[in-house]
Amino acid sequence: MMSRFLRTSLAVGVPLVAIAALVLPRALPAAAPAKKSLGFVITDYNLAGYETKYFDECPEGLAIGNDELWWKALSPQDRDKLTNSGLIEPVDPPRRPTAALRGPNKEDVCWNPTITKDPPLRVIKGKIGRGFNMDGTEDGKATANTCAHEKFTSPDGSTKVDNQMYRILGCIYGWRRGNYMEGHANRERRDSSQGIILVDVSDVDDVKNDPSVTVTYYSTVDLLQKDSGGGILPWASYRPSDTPHYGAKAKGKIVDGHVIAEPVDARLPLFGNNVTGDMIYKGLRLDLDLTKAAPDGSYSGLLAGYRDFENWWDYIRKIEFLTVTGQWSCPAIWVASQELADGYPDPKTGKCTAISEAMDITAVPAFVVPREARTAQAQGK
Amino acid sequence: MRRILLALTALTALSACGPKEPVVEAAPPAMRRLTEEQYRQVIADVFGDDIVIGGRFDPINRSNGLLAVGASSTAINGSAFERYDGLARSVASQVTDRANRDVLVPCKPADAAAADDACATTFFKNTGRLLYRRALTDAELKTQVALANAGATKLKDFYVGLSSSLSAMLVRPEFLFVTDTLEADPSKAGAFRLTPYAKAARVSFLLWNTTPDDALLTAAEKGDLNSSSGLKKQVDRMIASPRLAVGMRAFFNDMLAFDAFENLQKDPVIYPAFGLSAVELAREQILTTIIDQTVTTQGDYRNLFTTRKTVMSAPLGLVYRVPVSQPDGWVPYEFPEGDEHVGIQSFAGFVALFSHPGRSSATLRGKAVREILMCQKVPDPPSGVDFTLISDSHNPVYKTARERLKAHSTDPTCAGCHRIMDPIGLTLEHFDGAGQFRDDENGAAIDTSGELDGVAYTDAAGLGAALAKNAAVPACLVKRLYGYGTGRISTSAEKPILTYLEERFAKEGYRVPELLRDIALSDAFYQVAPAADAPKTASLEGGKP
Repeated sequence: MMSRFLRTSLAVGVPLVAIAALVLPRALPAAAPAKKSLGFVITDYNLAGYETKYFDECPEGLAIGNDELWWKALSPQDRDKLTNSGLIEPVDPPRRPTAALRGPNKEDVCWNPTITKDPPLRVIKGKIGRGFNMDGTEDGKATANTCAHEKFTSPDGSTKVDNQMYRILGCIYGWRRGNYMEGHANRERRDSSQGIILVDVSDVDDVKNDPSVTVTYYSTVDLLQKDSGGGILPWASYRPSDTPHYGAKAKGKIVDGHVIAEPVDARLPLFGNNVTGDMIYKGLRLDLDLTKAAPDGSYSGLLAGYRDFENWWDYIRKIEFLTVTGQWSCPAIWVASQELADGYPDPKTGKCTAISEAMDITAVPAFVVPREARTAQAQGK
Repeated sequence: MRRILLALTALTALSACGPKEPVVEAAPPAMRRLTEEQYRQVIADVFGDDIVIGGRFDPINRSNGLLAVGASSTAINGSAFERYDGLARSVASQVTDRANRDVLVPCKPADAAAADDACATTFFKNTGRLLYRRALTDAELKTQVALANAGATKLKDFYVGLSSSLSAMLVRPEFLFVTDTLEADPSKAGAFRLTPYAKAARVSFLLWNTTPDDALLTAAEKGDLNSSSGLKKQVDRMIASPRLAVGMRAFFNDMLAFDAFENLQKDPVIYPAFGLSAVELAREQILTTIIDQTVTTQGDYRNLFTTRKTVMSAPLGLVYRVPVSQPDGWVPYEFPEGDEHVGIQSFAGFVALFSHPGRSSATLRGKAVREILMCQKVPDPPSGVDFTLISDSHNPVYKTARERLKAHSTDPTCAGCHRIMDPIGLTLEHFDGAGQFRDDENGAAIDTSGELDGVAYTDAAGLGAALAKNAAVPACLVKRLYGYGTGRISTSAEKPILTYLEERFAKEGYRVPELLRDIALSDAFYQVAPAADAPKTASLEGGKP
């Protein structure tokens, strides 16, 4: 509280007003550099799959969940007790938390997936899948960096595709497109602005065809900019996180309006279903289609790579509270993913340590403002 | 004697710079209601920024392009008084509450549960002088103290009494109206002049948009403002102060009709990036640019219409589609060569303000440039005009605004006015209703060619250059600033002083602080004749001296 005029000793010559903070420095930044940068913020990502109306790709049906296995294991007396003789639906508690506690001594089977043996996971049996041919083979035979596995064929029949993550998760109710697991995670990211991935395409001479560009994957420290309906606005400015393990750079090119990034090992920020951390990939690659924007200004593409198994399992076990909602069995997924992992075999054991994964992404144009540009603008250069 | 010599020296120096100030016929006095911005500024200056003014104010009608002029023909009716009363009670209560009284009340009562003549007198003597813009008369001071004492005695609380009396003061016309009080001019028999206090108020509201500070009131009390040197000293001091930026911000906000931002809303479906925060920031961007270029760096006023330099904030970056390095606050920004954002008339705030909620308007933009920046009156549209085609921004045949306006203007009653507005507004059609750049409308390329008073151009940059070269633009600023300072429409008899000021403005490189100095130091600015029905001899002033 200060009266400028009553306290006359302070009334003259004091920098008084907020506008003083807005006064421009004399020097202002120079014109933009000749090479362009194309920035994007990924607003949604979902496991890329090929789902049919009648679940043809899951001929055994959808996966059996922790909940169902637990329920079936209960005696009729216990079921009567838990449902008050069928009068109530005991979702929570005790059903949700206890559904995962199915070990011999009530151990959590997501944190201890080998402690019990469940029926095998029902996985994708269909032949069509989406993603990249990441191992370079037509038949999925083992290579120096991959284990032998079955490949999908792209919907147009042109490409053999590696996407074992889809094979593992594709028949699980909660992981299918539009269902809770990824829908909720995307909503959480939009709401919280955590785990947001930036893609910066720099060194661009020609936005339609350019043989050499650089693609950098960042996390951001800024909040997503939204319209009044919650949509992510294009053309917002985002500062990359200074955390050093983000910022993987890949060589890339633009071909007929598609930004194609070569494989690079990368960490991407993770936030979803209340889990915070990183997604660790080997050979992460991108195909972002800039030829057609959706009405909201967004573009779509595929982001794929080999997801580190331990890193991925850490996420799966942390979302054990969603096994009822999502309908899966941790022990069954564990076994299936051990069998189906197809990337980067351990030199000692020969067991693959990563799982091929392709994600559909939606991204809107944005400005990625790296540290050096921030400093320059702040200094008025 | 020394004072007279100094004054003569100053006058000689002034006249050596160019032609002498013409003698013009004195204009009638005005009585101006404080605008909302002035009310807020005065309360903040007298009591501090922390005092919350949460109520609503009765609107003032814009007259001759300015609210400051409209304020001279605005009364306070019953409902308006009720609002002022509510504001006054709220302000007075905050000033005297426990959190603020130790700072804002310069003395402590002997007994906080009783009246205290001495402390109340000290408070009202200091505060009243700033609120009434003059020393209180003995009778006024006694009345305020008596009121405070009565409240304190009845409610057994000194501060409640003080609050009650202060709130009564804040609804008095002496506070709410800035009145041109007159006194006989000793140098001219039968003539009148503004009292020093009225002079102080006039110059203070012109330069700082607030009540005179202690130094200015003291100068008035000493009679310094009646001498050229004394007035010059105060004017120089005030122009050198950072508060000039505040005053000029208020002036340009008024001149550019930016009060309309308070009701500006855009269709969020059509313009999702232009949310409520962008509205306020768009106004601030223009005002900050103006203040930086006219006050801080004291540049040529005309450069405002060709500048590429401004400030940018993250929400505005969404509208302009440019990168902004900081999520909060402002960063300096310069639109690159080739960008059509050239001059404040092309900035998002201007083009969005003079648009419709869901579409651009070449007509409104052209009208704004003519009326606001050039002080030219565009006649109101005739009654019964069919706007259906103009409003149909998705018309499959007339895809662009130019095509729709061309079809509309075949009506001769409309054509005349559109001829002077549309060639300006159509040039700004690359900016949609929210100021976002676009190349086409409904798939058809937008033609941005136009002309301004015989100067042809092809885009917004060309319009800016044409405005910068148009003599009506700086002349308009002179007219508006003079009207803003006097609070009235310039009379035809004042044309010579406006011409004189225009010439000096040009000679001084169109620098706004110099123009302000010329206005504030001119005789004409303070020259007032009593209204025809005013008494011929008695003092017309409300206070001493």
